[in-house]
Amino acid sequence: MNFISKLRSGKFIITAEISPPKGTDTSRMLRDAALLKDIADAVNVTDNQRAVMRMSPIAACSILQGKGFETIMHITCRDRNRLALQSELVGASALGIGNVLVMSGDHPSKGDHVGAKPVYDLDSVQLLGMIRELNRGVDLSGNKLDGRTDFCVGAVTNTELNEAGLIKLKKKIKMGVNFLQTQAVFDVEKFSGFMERADEIRSTQSKQIKIIAGIIPLRSERSALFLNKVPGIRVPDDMIKQIKDAKDPEVEGMRITAEIIKKLRTMCDGIHIMPVGNHENTKKLLEMADLI
Amino acid sequence: MIISRQKEFNNILQMLGEIDIFIIGCGKCAKKQRAGGEPEVLEMKKKLEDAGKNITGWTVLSSACSITSWADVLSQNPGINKADALLVMSCGGGVSVISGFAGKQVYPALDTESLGGVCCNEVVTEQCGMCGDCTIWLYGGICPVIRCAKSLLNGPCGGAVQGKCEVDERLCAWDKIFERLKELGKLENIENIHEPKDHLKTRVKKA
Ligand code: SF4
Ligand code: SF4
Repeated sequence: MNFISKLRSGKFIITAEISPPKGTDTSRMLRDAALLKDIADAVNVTDNQRAVMRMSPIAACSILQGKGFETIMHITCRDRNRLALQSELVGASALGIGNVLVMSGDHPSKGDHVGAKPVYDLDSVQLLGMIRELNRGVDLSGNKLDGRTDFCVGAVTNTELNEAGLIKLKKKIKMGVNFLQTQAVFDVEKFSGFMERADEIRSTQSKQIKIIAGIIPLRSERSALFLNKVPGIRVPDDMIKQIKDAKDPEVEGMRITAEIIKKLRTMCDGIHIMPVGNHENTKKLLEMADLI
Repeated sequence: MIISRQKEFNNILQMLGEIDIFIIGCGKCAKKQRAGGEPEVLEMKKKLEDAGKNITGWTVLSSACSITSWADVLSQNPGINKADALLVMSCGGGVSVISGFAGKQVYPALDTESLGGVCCNEVVTEQCGMCGDCTIWLYGGICPVIRCAKSLLNGPCGGAVQGKCEVDERLCAWDKIFERLKELGKLENIENIHEPKDHLKTRVKKA
């Protein structure tokens, strides 16, 4: 079953994030992917994440698909104008990449090429609109394509949204996304508030949109404190204390994360695991959460 | 008003190959920002002389980007013909206009940053990105093309932390746009999808 069928089937979705290599050596990426075999419904492949230059996601996805993985290709507005975005997407589709996840992208000033010219020719809402056109078989200028794309499309969202953010989320949904992937969730109660708002929007737009909650496994007090500086992420104080007081912070972190996942299971349509580092513990974590 | 700031003096010195220099200041934007008015021109003259340059003269044009005729400028400033190069203390617009007529090397003393304004003696930077297709009214008069670090037209990126932009010290423009539209009772302006900019409109029509 491919990813879109799984989404439609109502199965609880598990996706996991992989970074393309910084260079041509794909061995580490493939090692990471191997840890996800038979666990993840699809692997997300990031697009120069945090504005750090890496192998293009289209190449990395293509390599992974060749090894039997279904991929979700991230595509940001940061590095490409509308021509480049379209040719990338058309190319991805021809290579058999069927899922894309759209985002604005971190600004170049955050990465390892701070002097790069940011593009942002389109924003994420406009990019979603463009993909809808490509799926209809026309480009952004209305020219007919020789062969249309058929993407399953996702967008990202924070779970704590101000009103301006909520307006934008509505627009993304209006552009016809199949799924939404959230920033990492730590506070399940707050997340349920987000789900209520999302359900309201879903009920007026499309009930088909699946919501996949982001998960970052906690590893140490330090990592938790660091995460608190990332936009859209908030690790509650008692959770940080729990880790700090634990004999083995890594095990405690896994336990906390597994608890979060168990609770989320009844609230949303899937989880997306973003480990900082590699997927060494991912299988164990999912076992602890009774998901596999 | 065009926002510009003076280059580091060392950079100016490195740039200037010639010895005999004529300095041109600008009486409009550069003067307002104390970057290219008379006091700055005189200070530049002194520093350049101390560094071994020969200043053949100086002037402050009423605005460097808008001159009636080059012949007038020349007749009033005979020092220009004696110079090997001109140093222009104005925005890039002024430097370009003068370069077009001077027939000799022209150097910029300022770096041009953005289009802004001045009110109550305070200079406001980055007010317009000169996109050639002004839709600022949709955003309560706060232009996302320039005030949002990613020029996002449909809402915030989600990267702000406690109201601060992900990119630098500025406040997230989208918070301001939202607040202003709320005050104006015009929130419906941003509920619609805004199409990508037509960058063809930015391109200057060639004569
Ligand atoms: S919409 Fe364009 S022209 Fe209008 S203020 Fe913004 S950048 Fe300037
Ligand atoms: S934080 Fe606000 S101003 Fe900064 S790039 Fe994002 S939306 Fe634009």
